[in-house]
Amino acid sequence: MMRKAALGVALAATALTASACGQGVLGGDSKKDKGPILLGMDIPLSGSSADIGPYMKNGAQMAIDEINAKGGVIGRKLQLRAEDDACDPKTAVAAANKLVAANVAVSVGGYCSGATLPTLPVFDRRKIPMIIPAANSTELVDQKLKHVFFVNGTGDQQAVAAMTWMTKSGAKRVALLHDNTSYSKDIAVRTAAELDKPGGPDKATLDAVNPGESDYSANVANLLRSKPDFVYWTGYYQEGGLILRQLRQAGYKGKFMVADGSVDAKLVKIAGGTAAEGAYATMTQTPDTIQGAENWIAGYKQKFGADPGPYSTQSYDAVRVAAEAIRKAGSTDGDKLVTALEGINGLQLFSGPLKFTDRHTLTSGGFVILVVKNGKFVLQDALK
Amino acid sequence: MSQLIWNGLFVGSFYALVALGYSMVYGIIKLLNFAHGDLYMLGAFSGFAMLGAMGGLVKSSSLVALFVVLILTMVATGLSGVVIERVAYRPLRGAPRLSLLITAVGASFALEYGTRIVAGPNPKVYQVRLDGTALHVLGALITWQQLALMAVSIVLMVALNLLITRTRQGRAMRAIALDPKACLLMGIDVDKVISRTFFIGSALAGAAGVMAGGYYGKIDFLMGFIIGLKAFTAAVIGGIGNIPGTMLGGLLLGLLESFGTHFVGGQWRDVFAFGFLILFLTVRPTGLLGERVTERV
Repeated sequence: MMRKAALGVALAATALTASACGQGVLGGDSKKDKGPILLGMDIPLSGSSADIGPYMKNGAQMAIDEINAKGGVIGRKLQLRAEDDACDPKTAVAAANKLVAANVAVSVGGYCSGATLPTLPVFDRRKIPMIIPAANSTELVDQKLKHVFFVNGTGDQQAVAAMTWMTKSGAKRVALLHDNTSYSKDIAVRTAAELDKPGGPDKATLDAVNPGESDYSANVANLLRSKPDFVYWTGYYQEGGLILRQLRQAGYKGKFMVADGSVDAKLVKIAGGTAAEGAYATMTQTPDTIQGAENWIAGYKQKFGADPGPYSTQSYDAVRVAAEAIRKAGSTDGDKLVTALEGINGLQLFSGPLKFTDRHTLTSGGFVILVVKNGKFVLQDALK
Repeated sequence: MSQLIWNGLFVGSFYALVALGYSMVYGIIKLLNFAHGDLYMLGAFSGFAMLGAMGGLVKSSSLVALFVVLILTMVATGLSGVVIERVAYRPLRGAPRLSLLITAVGASFALEYGTRIVAGPNPKVYQVRLDGTALHVLGALITWQQLALMAVSIVLMVALNLLITRTRQGRAMRAIALDPKACLLMGIDVDKVISRTFFIGSALAGAAGVMAGGYYGKIDFLMGFIIGLKAFTAAVIGGIGNIPGTMLGGLLLGLLESFGTHFVGGQWRDVFAFGFLILFLTVRPTGLLGERVTERV
């Protein structure tokens, strides 16, 4: 503790000297206020979720380019600085420290909840606002940190959406399966709590698998012992595809639903053949399910030569929210930005008009139900 | 019950196939080759690349294609194993064991992230999928594909055992396991035999990789990590360095996992399996068949 405090003082002293020097050279208007405003982004570029990082980075870059083309904000350009968190808590903290050292004004990253969790205090302590585009475990919200905001629906909102759909689709016995990560367990446990309430479908079982393996036949056999007619997988798509395939191989005929971490075209491919046909998903809006996003998708394709993937829209929105806050605050001062963020009312995002709750989450999660049809996730029910 | 046993045996045969390479290498040069799990991954990826190169041919006769690819992949991963041994392990053979172990960890990372650079971080899906109708045997659901894969693993394991116990080559391996210096003096080309051991072990891991790709369908550059650990565990249970023991260890670990999931639930499975392992090793540190020192390879 003492060492940390001492280090903090030393760093603060260095920062003071640095800014003093800047003022000395340029006088009054320091160089720091003229250069580009840095937006930091902790995202997985390696490790198990390495394929999501580029989608998020591209989405954010697209927003930044659009804003810069219009002259930037408060007379300065925006610039993105992405660091790899490898979906790993230790790497994520190191990456967050790098961003803090680089003097980012706002953090617009965060995908894996487990890796994002330890980075919250890193940014919060330096009064750097975080606008988290993807990570959405309720565990993150429960930290109740002043500088942390969420532009993705949270775990409890997703659980409610899942419950609504299970009831609506006539499920009787629901088996819940998660992968023991912060994100996945959160949704499963909260859905279990919803199921345990009187009325509606019952909980058949709540179980977990170890991510990163290939054979889940033992888990599947165990799951089927509880005789479910609806299975809800709340982990990521790599295991999701395998579990779906192995469930079908084991003779399961009931319904299958995944949470937003599993919504990826690869889920269908991994499940193979037509195994994924008719599988549902609880999901926040994706580029292909948003009406009127065709232009956005075309722009993305033209720029990056690939289809936009999950969380590209949320990352795009996170940057826009950050820019809006900086514009309203007229500075990059952390406290002023927080006030500005809390004051945003009606900024049009992909998920609808934005107004943060007092917990800094979206008013409504904006979750919809998707279904796999002809190998693609399409909208089934908007739950409106 | 019969389903539990079948599930366990099926997974166990994969563990056993990968574990054999661990065991052989440990037996002969006392090295825990941590890159071994990644040769399994390399096998899966080279199989994927070959199937891709065959293109339309795959569609018409997928099983034949998979079999041809299996053989070619075994050669390819076998050679990779030889190269790794030549580049990373042989120069350090006189060095302390710890240096060799660290090099093995390094080789493992090099393979994983090298593959990531070449093939990209996204998981790949095999072009050939072994889909099949299930048979009901004694209350268990079994597919023809599972039976075929089991048969291939058993054939490979039996062939390996014959090679080691019945051939000159196998005798040389066993002799080196006992005393490499004496072998050198007796005119055995120790380096060559070690290279061959790496070839065989890596080829088996490559075969397991292709089979896993064809059966489970998903491959990614980190897939070798967990199976490497599991295979290592299987080798230790069976008695590392002992071939029949290693096979038995693989099957036992598969069964432990299957029953662990059944009795204590999915999230406790590994706690159950590895807790049992700790208990077992305190009672019998040499593993199931580990005492037959004279026969180990």
